[in-house]
Amino acid sequence: MGEVANTPRGKGVLLCIQCGRCSSSCPVARLTSEHNPRRLMEMVIMGFKSEVLPHQLPWYCLSCFTCLDRCPQGGDVGEVMFAIRNLAVRQGNMPAGVAGQAKALYETGRVINPVRTALDKRESLGLGKITGDGVEEVQKILKKTGMEKIVKST
Amino acid sequence: MKYAFFLGCLIPARELSYEVSVRKVLPELGVELVDMKGANCCAPFSIQSVDHASWMALAARDLCIAEEMGLDIMTLCNDCYESLLMVNTVLKRNPELRNQVNQLLSEVGKEYKGKVDVKNLVDVLYGDVGVSKVKSAIKEPIDGLKVGTQPGCHLTKPKRIHFELLRGFDDLDALVRATGVESVPYERKEMCCGGPLRDINDDLARKVSVQKLKALKDAEVQAVVTVCPFCFLQLDLGQLEIKRHFNEEYNLPVIHFIELLRMGMGMKLEDWEIKAHRIPITELLKNRL
Repeated sequence: MGEVANTPRGKGVLLCIQCGRCSSSCPVARLTSEHNPRRLMEMVIMGFKSEVLPHQLPWYCLSCFTCLDRCPQGGDVGEVMFAIRNLAVRQGNMPAGVAGQAKALYETGRVINPVRTALDKRESLGLGKITGDGVEEVQKILKKTGMEKIVKST
Repeated sequence: MKYAFFLGCLIPARELSYEVSVRKVLPELGVELVDMKGANCCAPFSIQSVDHASWMALAARDLCIAEEMGLDIMTLCNDCYESLLMVNTVLKRNPELRNQVNQLLSEVGKEYKGKVDVKNLVDVLYGDVGVSKVKSAIKEPIDGLKVGTQPGCHLTKPKRIHFELLRGFDDLDALVRATGVESVPYERKEMCCGGPLRDINDDLARKVSVQKLKALKDAEVQAVVTVCPFCFLQLDLGQLEIKRHFNEEYNLPVIHFIELLRMGMGMKLEDWEIKAHRIPITELLKNRL
């Protein structure tokens, strides 16, 4: 639990009383028993690191923040999910879609880039060019934070 | 009224009609938009899931660009909005974190000072322009159309940030009503579109969308009006995917709020913009296209 609680978005786990209001308000938990925020918090509290970090579980959260608004403890469940995912990524658990966005961000400064036809359309409409200005600065920052290493290792 | 215009990644790449409409409508309402040169991606939830410090620093870099321009930011996408708003809010309050971020930013010769605010298109139209001015700009009211609005999660959640800003989705509904359209309540209005699960678990993403679409159908609306380009994508393109994978058909047209406002102000959509809607809007809006 300490590992999660010591991160900037993970402190809320210390306040969890396992009431389950997060799970009952979660639009994903309603659809699949695989995702259960209360259970995930419980596993973090109990220190079941190997049961949490390598699996899909923390990635099923939509970050819709419904649980954040409803937690009676101000436990910020949806925020804690970010802390768990940050740790999961460092164990090599990152879905391909997320890895793709991280790579695009590093290479172009944007997570989604226009295809050729969109660029042509922009030009014909007289909309501004999408430039790569800023990408060098983005890369410098990501090198310093260590995210460059994560991007290059996937 | 003048804003640093943060366009984000999705809109200029995939939803050009949104961008075109904003650039046409806002100046008519007295809002000047200045493009942010050299801005990077806001670092949305996918990136925040990878690395916390990178999120803070990249969002702060965009905030620095606005500070250099001496202008508050206006965003369109809910994800851009939430990312920049959260980082701005946290850094304004937490000097320790601000120092850490500024150390990273010093690598690129920037310093976050906390001098600008972050607003969304809805904030600007509701708070700065005002509903009455929007209403008086409507030359061709869109009467007889019943819709459900999809504010999107990060326009109103988490409440601890948005309460301070006194924002709820009533703001969007008031603006929609100003165009002459009837916005009706429906169950699960506050619920996510399902979009964030795209590319992580597409099947689950679609199941979330289905809950939303069913609730909208139950309310007997003719269309859904979105603000967030990601909600638009998930609900519009998503309906085709739902048809293919679940064999369920909803046929519910999805319209960007700004397109509705643009039509109400008498500026017609062009053919390519109409065709950019995967669920056709032609039947619904046949008298105004």
